[in-house]
Amino acid sequence: MPMVLLECDKDIPEREKHIYLKVDGEDTRDFLPISNAPTIPGTLSERGCAFCGAKLVIGGVLKDTIQMIHGPIGCAYDTWHTKRYPTDNGHFPLKYVWSTDMKESHIVFGGEKRLEKSINEAFDEMPDVKRMIVYTTCPTALIGDDIKAVTRKVMSERPDVDIFTVECPGFAGVSQSKGHHVLNIGWINEKVGGVEPKITSEYTINFIGDYNIQGDTWVLDQYWKALGIQVISHFTGNGTYDDLRCMHRAQLSVVNCARSAGYIANELKKQYGIPRLDIDSWGFNYMAEAIRKVCAFFGIEDRGEALIAEEYGKWKGKLDWYKERLQGAKMAIWTGGPRLWHWTKSVEDDLGVQVVAMSSKFGHQEDFEKVIARGQTGTYYIDDGNELEFFEIIDRVRPDVIFTGPRVGELVKKLHIPYINGHAYHNGPYMGFEGFVNLARDMYNAINNPLLKLAATDIRQDTTFYREAAE
Amino acid sequence: MGCEIITKKRQGIINPMYDCQPAGAQYAGIGVRDCIPLVHGGQGCSMFVRLLFAQHFKENFDIASTSLHEDSAVFGGHERIFEGVLTLARRYPHLRVIPLITTCSTEVIGDDIEGNITRCNEALAKEFPRRTIHVVPVHTPSFKSSQVGGYAVCMESIVKTIAREKVQPTGKLNLFPGWVNPGDVTLLKHYLSEMGIDGTVLMDTEDFDSPMLPDQSIHTHGRTTVEDIQGTAGALASVALARYEGAGAAEYLQEAFGVPAHVVATPYGIGNTDALLRKLSEITGKPIPASLVKERGVALDALQDLAHMFFADKRVAIFGHPDLVIGLAAFCLEVELKPALLLLGDDNSKYKRDPRIQALKAKADWDMEVVCNADLWELEKRATDPDYKIDMILGHSKGRYVAIDNNIPMVRVGFPTFDRAGVYRHPTMGYRGAMLLGEAIANAMFAHMEYNKDREWLLNTW
Amino acid sequence: MTTENLAGKAEQLYNYVQERCLWQFFSRTWDRQENIDGILHATGELLCGKQPPRHTPMEKLFYSDAVIMAADFRQRFPWIEAEQPSHIHELMQAVKEKVTEIAVTKSLNHELNHSLY
Repeated sequence: MPMVLLECDKDIPEREKHIYLKVDGEDTRDFLPISNAPTIPGTLSERGCAFCGAKLVIGGVLKDTIQMIHGPIGCAYDTWHTKRYPTDNGHFPLKYVWSTDMKESHIVFGGEKRLEKSINEAFDEMPDVKRMIVYTTCPTALIGDDIKAVTRKVMSERPDVDIFTVECPGFAGVSQSKGHHVLNIGWINEKVGGVEPKITSEYTINFIGDYNIQGDTWVLDQYWKALGIQVISHFTGNGTYDDLRCMHRAQLSVVNCARSAGYIANELKKQYGIPRLDIDSWGFNYMAEAIRKVCAFFGIEDRGEALIAEEYGKWKGKLDWYKERLQGAKMAIWTGGPRLWHWTKSVEDDLGVQVVAMSSKFGHQEDFEKVIARGQTGTYYIDDGNELEFFEIIDRVRPDVIFTGPRVGELVKKLHIPYINGHAYHNGPYMGFEGFVNLARDMYNAINNPLLKLAATDIRQDTTFYREAAE
Repeated sequence: MGCEIITKKRQGIINPMYDCQPAGAQYAGIGVRDCIPLVHGGQGCSMFVRLLFAQHFKENFDIASTSLHEDSAVFGGHERIFEGVLTLARRYPHLRVIPLITTCSTEVIGDDIEGNITRCNEALAKEFPRRTIHVVPVHTPSFKSSQVGGYAVCMESIVKTIAREKVQPTGKLNLFPGWVNPGDVTLLKHYLSEMGIDGTVLMDTEDFDSPMLPDQSIHTHGRTTVEDIQGTAGALASVALARYEGAGAAEYLQEAFGVPAHVVATPYGIGNTDALLRKLSEITGKPIPASLVKERGVALDALQDLAHMFFADKRVAIFGHPDLVIGLAAFCLEVELKPALLLLGDDNSKYKRDPRIQALKAKADWDMEVVCNADLWELEKRATDPDYKIDMILGHSKGRYVAIDNNIPMVRVGFPTFDRAGVYRHPTMGYRGAMLLGEAIANAMFAHMEYNKDREWLLNTW
Repeated sequence: MTTENLAGKAEQLYNYVQERCLWQFFSRTWDRQENIDGILHATGELLCGKQPPRHTPMEKLFYSDAVIMAADFRQRFPWIEAEQPSHIHELMQAVKEKVTEIAVTKSLNHELNHSLY
C-alpha cells in the first residue's frame, strides 16, 4: 500500500493518489503521484496562481524591465517584497511594482485606455527604462482586454521601447506552473532572435532557470568567468530583457530549474538546435559534475578540473566540519517542486542528512519521477500538500529541520521544529560550493538553536534543565 | 503656507500603499474564533495574503481558497464554493464561521454568492445537524476600494450575518478598533478593564502574538467568538475608533437593534485618547480612574523631553491607512512635529471631506500636502526633490526603499511592518502608544544623526 | 558473461543512472529516448576505449554526459575495466532497455506524449 491515505484526508479520499511512501523494490513504473492536477477547494493548499508564476518567479527578476500588471491593485501589491533576488543595479526589481489599478468602470467599459495611459506614464516617470512586460490578470482576461494591441500601439509611438506581453490570468492552469509555461513559450516565440549579442568568447551558454536568489547567479558567474565561458543570457537571475532576446546565439543551454524554464530550453533545442544540458547547482558533488560536463562539452576539461580543485580547496574543509555534525539529521523539504530532487541526494551525499518527507506545490509527474528515482525508501513524496497533512506527516517522521516558506516556518515553529527558508534561503546564496557551505551552516545553526530546548521545557514540571544550568 | 489637498494625477500606480479589498476582508475574518475565511478566487488571492500576514505578525493564519481554475471561469464557480465549504466543515470539526470572500474574478463571473450559501447551509444542516456553521457572504471585488474598504465590508457582513436578532441587554460595550495590531487591542482592553467596562472587541486580535509552548499547542487565532458577535445586538453602545474600518458595523447595530453608535477620532496621540476615554466615561457613567491619569502623565513626561528640543519644525511624511495617517498627524502636532505630507492610498472620495482633514487644513500655518489616491511613487518623487524637505517618514515597510535610498530616517508604523522586529506587539494607540511612537521617532533620529555624523555630539549630554 | 551475471551488473549501472541522471527524465518521450540512446551509446564507446564523435552540438552534448558517466562507472564499479567490449555492449544494451522502460514505455507520466512543450 505505497500510496497513502492519511487520517486527515478521510473526507477527501482522492488525496491518496497524491501521497506516496517509497518502499524497497518499487520504482516509478509502479507508483507515481498524481500532480499538476486541480486543487480540492478548501483544503488549505500551499499553491499560488499562474500569474505569480509568470511575474513573480520569472519576469519580475529582470533588472531593467518595468513589470506592468494590468488589473486591480492586489496582484501588484502581493507580488512585491516576497522574493530575494538582488541585482547589480541597486535592486531595481525589488523596489518597484506597477499596476493599472483597475476600477469597476474599466471592468464595465474595458481597460485598454487605462493600460495605454499607465504604460506611457510609467515610461515617462522612469525615462531611463525602455523595456516592459505587461501582464493580464483574472479580471482583465475575463473582460477580454486586447493587451497586445495596446502594446503595439505604444511601441509604434515610442520606437525606443520594447514591450512583451504575458496573457496568463491567475485562474489559468492549476498552480504557478502554468505561468512559467506561458512566459517561456511566449518569450521564445516573440522575443528570442530580436537582438544579436556581442560574442566575446568561443564558448557561449544560456544559463537557464536560476533567479539569483540571494546572489546564486553571482556565485556561478565566478565559475563561468574562471572557465572563460560567456553567458549570453541569464534566464532570469540578474538578467536583462535584451540579453534574453539573444538566447538563440548560445552554443549550449545549461538548465538548473527544469520546472520553471525547461520549456524554453526545449524550444531552443527544437527551433535553434541548441542542446540542453540539465545540471544541479546545489551541492559539491553535483556542482563539480556540472562544471565537468559543461567543460567536456567545450573541450576545456583542464580548466574545469583546475577550478574544481581550487573550490574544493577553499570550501571542502568547511563543508566537512558541518557534515560531521549534521550526520543523521532528518530533513523535510516543502517547496515548489525541483528543489526536492535537486536537494534530496546532495544533502545525503554531501552532508549525511536524511530527507524523510517532501512536498511539492507545483511539480509535475516528471518532477516526481526525478525525486522518487533519487530519494530514499521510507520517505514520503507529496503533491500539493495541505496544512492538516503536514501536521500528520510531521507526527510520522519528526524532522529535525524543514526547508519551506516563511509562513509554514512560523507554523512549525510552534511545534518546536526550526525552518530554513527553502525558497529565498536564510543566509544564502546556497548554490555552488560556497553556497552549499552556507546551506550546511544554516541547517546546523537551525538544528542546534538553544531556544528549541528551552521551548520544550515546562518550568512547572521539568527541573532537569535548571539543575544543569545551575551546575 | 497652508495645506493643499490634491489627488494623484497619474492613472496607474507605481508602488501601492494598500492591497486590494479581499486582503482586508481576510484580515477581518481571521479575527473571529473558530473561523477560516474561504476566498473565492484564484489561489494567489489567499496565498499571498497569508504570506503578508505571516511577514507582519511572524505567525501563520489559516485561510482557504476555492482554487478557481479555468473551468470555473467559464462555467461559474458554484461547485468550488460548495466543495470548499463542505471540505472545510468536514476536516475542521471546530469550525463555526466561514466568511466567503469574493474577488475580482468571481465578481466578474457573477457567481451567485447568496444562492450558493443557501445551498451550502442546507447541506451543512443535513450533514452536521448538531453544528451551526455561519457562512458569511463578503462581496469584495478587488476593483473597488482597497484593503481598507475590504476590512470594513467583511466586518459589517460578519456582524450582520451572526448578530441576526435582538438579544437581552448585555450591559457590554462593543468596541470596533479598526485594523490595528495586537498591541493596540491589548491596550484598549486594558483601558476597558481600568474603567471597569465589560467590552466586546471586534475583532479581538490579541492572540495574533502567540507563544511557543512546551506542549506545542497552537493558539494563533482571533478571540472574538460567535457568542460575542451575537451579543453585540444587545450591547449598551458601540464605539468605533476607525471611521473607515468598522464604523459601518456599529451603524448597522444602531439601525437594526438600536445600539447607539459612536464614531470617535482614532485614538492616536494624547488628545484623541483623552476624547476616547471621556466618551467611554460618558456612555457608561464610569469615571476615568487615576491609573489612566498616571499613564497619561508618564507619556507626557516622556514626550516633553523630545518635543521642542528635537522634534520642533521637523517635516514628517506619513502614509498608511487613512484613520492611522489622520490620527498620527494630530499626534505630530502635539509633539511639535510638522505633518508635511499625508498620503492616503485609495480612491475613496470621502477622505477629502473628513472633518479631521478639514481641521488640519484650518490649522496649517506651514507647507502641507494631502495626496489622495496616492501611491508611494508620490512619496518617492517628493523625497528625491531637493526642494521638498522631508525629515522623517512614518509608514509601513512597503516604503522602506524611499527612506533607505534617500537617507531619511523612518519609523515603521501601520501594516505591514515586516522589516522591523516585534512592531505588532506594541500599541500605537493610547497614551502608551503615543509615548512609544515618540520615542521610536526620537531614536530613529538619533541613530540617523550618528550614522550621518550630523550633530551626533548633541547626544553626549542629553 | 552469464545471464544472471549480466543482469546483476546491469542493475548496478541502471541504479546509478536512476540516481544521478536528469536527462532520462526530460519532458517528452522523444527527448528521453534521444538522450538515452545517445548518451548510453557514447558511454559504451568510451568504456571500450573508443572516442565517440564530437562534431555536432548533440554529439558534444552526449559526449559531455557520457564522459562523466564512464568515469563514474570505472570508479564505482571496478569490475567494468575487465569486461570485454562485447560484454560492455551487452551491458549497455541491458541498461538502455531498462531505462527506456522506466522513463518511456512504462512511465506513468501523463504528460510524456503531449505534442507541445
